[in-house]
Parts: sequence; structure tokens; C-alpha cells
Amino acid sequence: MPEIVVEGVKKTLGGLLTLGDINIKAKDGAFAGILGPSGCGKSTLFNIISGLMQPDAGHVFIDGRDVTGRTGRVSYMRQKDLLLPSLNVLDNVSIPLVLKGWPKKKARAEAEKHLGRFGLAGFQGYYPGQLSGGMRQRAAMLRTYLFSSDILLLDEPFASLDAITKRQMHAWLIDVFYQIRPTVMFITHDVDEALYLCDKVYVLSECPTVVNLEIDVPFCRPQHGRTIVDPEYSAIRDAIMEALAI
Amino acid sequence: MTRGDGSFVSSCVKQDDTKEPSPCVLVVLLMKDKINNIANVVVPLAFVSFLLVIWEYTVRWRSIPDWILPGPLQIARTFAENAPMLTKHAQTTLTECLAGFAIAIAFSFVIAFLMDELPLVKKAIYPLVIASQTIPIVSVAPLFIIWFGYGILPKIIVVVLVCFFPIAISLLGGLAAVDKDYLELFRSMQATRLNIFRMVKLPLALPSFFSGLKISAAYSVMGAVIGEWLGAKQGLGGLGAYMTLAQRSFQVDRVFAAILAVTVCSAALFALVCLIEKITIPWNRLS
Repeated sequence: MPEIVVEGVKKTLGGLLTLGDINIKAKDGAFAGILGPSGCGKSTLFNIISGLMQPDAGHVFIDGRDVTGRTGRVSYMRQKDLLLPSLNVLDNVSIPLVLKGWPKKKARAEAEKHLGRFGLAGFQGYYPGQLSGGMRQRAAMLRTYLFSSDILLLDEPFASLDAITKRQMHAWLIDVFYQIRPTVMFITHDVDEALYLCDKVYVLSECPTVVNLEIDVPFCRPQHGRTIVDPEYSAIRDAIMEALAI
Repeated sequence: MTRGDGSFVSSCVKQDDTKEPSPCVLVVLLMKDKINNIANVVVPLAFVSFLLVIWEYTVRWRSIPDWILPGPLQIARTFAENAPMLTKHAQTTLTECLAGFAIAIAFSFVIAFLMDELPLVKKAIYPLVIASQTIPIVSVAPLFIIWFGYGILPKIIVVVLVCFFPIAISLLGGLAAVDKDYLELFRSMQATRLNIFRMVKLPLALPSFFSGLKISAAYSVMGAVIGEWLGAKQGLGGLGAYMTLAQRSFQVDRVFAAILAVTVCSAALFALVCLIEKITIPWNRLS
């Protein structure tokens, strides 16, 4: 079961206690948002979950197994697309499969199957330099998906996009989410983005980071894609704003 | 969901359609482009011709003797008359260049790879790499002749010395400038160090590597000529040997003809590197 549990994780970076005591959970098929001021160690948290960094204390469980400090289970998508300019779209997205030891041809064929869903059909031969920002982010997400299809860690994936493209990407992401039903952890510092996409939101404090607020979002991912008019919306939004001390 | 990708792309296309200028404007724009292109060629050519005319005129007007400064016409005549001889010498020089160039590239790759992967090696070798550039070539080249004789080898060593530094430094700079996020991403996907080097670092460092390579290409001919100046076997000693011989017999027009040949060779090597760059990293021009 693709479930992520972060238990009592602490981390000191450069003499500064960055992560105080973090307990976060994303259940199977959940879309958990992590909101926090910039520089609060959100990316450090993802580095720990993906196994790139060893926490000073605490554990990370994925599928019920302790994967603390071990890479290989999940990768994560960053704000920068980090596509290799030297490879075309198809070769870029099939990298995780190639690294897993698949033969190149088979990896390409497998990656090609998913291009349509990620809005990249017909663009397999294009180089990243020829694509729009939104397409590059979708390619980066497909690459993340091909590494671990049941868990997606997204670190401010749309932060560098303009407002309109961002909105289009939200609608698209919801669509894909319902198709593949992964467990998602989504870092953002945009309150409305979190309320729009996530069914659960964790609000982090400033350094040393702890979870200030944990809140369920009942009205997330509306079908219409327009402004949310649910009466609970403003109450939840205000609670989050308060937790962020805005 | 239609608001996904499809509508996004089509809306981009639509925008382009509406912005397309009328045919009349297009013709004017095209002409402007063409005029610009022509100007890019004509202006420098005209300026160079102007300088050559002044040179020729001055030489004739002050009746400067040929053995002090020949005019461009005289040089062109000598160049044409000696073309077969110059070509043969140029072949020797270019052989030395290409050999030295190839060795310098191979050497740079090995050194840069080791320095990038092993910090201890970087600490140990970096000062030596810098020192290799501070050595005055003209003063060590005679030593190479003493050690390795009048053959082709000492010239190749000089070329290697001249070319190594720009190539190695640009390659190292390119490798070091690779965004750390790329490395983290690939490590999170369990890529081995060799894979990271091959798939990420090397391709991302190539544009920087090629800028070093272009500098070296232009320098390499000069390196070979310096090596040849200091001594060569009888016969085809290269353009440098030809130049010294002409100088000693006050055939200044031949010296200039050899300089012209050296320039042509350098430019040709430079163009070759540019061509290889275009073929190897076509994606670099996209972004």
C-alpha cells in the first residue's frame, strides 16, 4: 500500500535546527499538501523522504517499511524541470526506466505509452528548449511518475509558471490524479493552490519547523474548476492564514 | 478535461495566426533582413579593403623597399607563386596541430574527470594545471628540441602545452557549474556515479568545453609555429620553419605569405571546431 508516514523527523542543518519534530502522513490515494513559509525546510523534508538525506532522529515509512536514509523508493519533482537539454522529451522521461536497468528500446516504448496522458503526445522528438514551461513541467512529472507510479512527491511544481498556465496545470493534474490514483505529497506556499488540490493540508511553522496545523479539506478538487464557493472555504482559509501568521 | 494540454497548444497557435503581418509588411521585413545580412558581410570587407588600399598606396608613395615592407599586392603574388610549397608546409604544421590538439583533449578529459570525481586529486593537481599555463612557451620549447630532437615530437608537445589549459579549465568549469539539483535528482533515482557523469555532467558541460576548444583551436597553430621556429629538420619543417628561413634571407613578402597561411590554418581549425560543435550539441542553440 503506497502510504507515506513521517514519524518524529528532526534535522539540524549547518548548526540550525531546521526540522523540529515533524509528523506527517499521506494515506493511500491521498493528496496531502504541505504549506509553509519559504526557507522552512520543506525541501529538506522531501530530501529525507526520498532518502537523499539522513534525519538526525525519526523515521520514514513507505508501504509500512522503514526506508529512512535509503533512496530508490520515491523520487521527487522540483520547481525546476531539470530536464536534460541534450535529450529529447522521450529520452528524458525514460531516464528512470533506463536507470532501473531496462533496455533503452523497451524503456522508450513504455514511456511512449504515457505521453498522451501527460499532454506530450506528438512532442517526443522535441528538445526541452523547444517546449513551453507547462509542457516541461508535465514532462518532469511524467519522469517522476515513471520512477514510482504510485507515489508522487511534488515540490512546488508549478511555482515558476505564470498564473494562467498554473491554473491549466491544476485542472490537468486533477484529471491525471483521478486516472492513476497515486498518493501525492505536494509542497506549496500558495494557500489557494493547496485548498484547490489537496484533501489534507499540513501547515508548517518557521524554523525550527513543526506542524502548526493539520486540516482536512472537504471541498477540494471541484469538478467545475471555478472559484470555490463552499461556505467552509473562508473558515478553513482563515485558519490556515492564522497558522501561517499572516 | 479539455482545459488540459490541447487547448493550451492550440491557443498558442491561434495567437500566432492573428499576429501574422500582411504580405506587404512581410516583404519589407524580408528585405530589411536581407539588407542586414548583406551589410554584415559588406561592411567588414569594405573596411579591410580600405586598409589594404592605404597600405598599398603608402608602400608605393614612400617607395618602401620590398625587404622592409612589401605591399599587399606583392604579398598576394608571392602567396600565389609559393602556394604549392606553402600547402606542403601547412600540411606538416596542421599534422602537428591536430596531433597535439587530440592529445590535449584526451588529456583534459582524463584530468577533468579525475579532478571532478576526486576532490583530493583536484586539490593536488589544480596548481599544476595553472602552472602549465604560466610557463613561457618560448623559453621551454628549445629544451624540448634538446630533449626530443628536431622531429615532429617537440612541436606536438608545445601544441599540447598551449591547448591543454583552455580545454581543461573550460571542461572543469563546465562540470563544476552543473546544477546540484540535477545531481540530487539523479541520485534519488539511484543513478551510479558513472551514469551521473555520462548522462548529466558531461552533456551539460559540453557547451563550456567547446568554448575552451575554440580558443585552443585558434592557439594551436601558433603553438606549432613557435615549435617550428626554433628548429626543424631539413625539408618540410612546417610554416614556422619556412617563415624563419624567409626572414633570414630578408624575403619579407614570403614571411607575410606564411603569416597569411598561418591565419588561414587557424581560421580553418576554428571553423572545424564550430562545425563539430553544431553537430555534437545541436540542442545548445535551442534554448
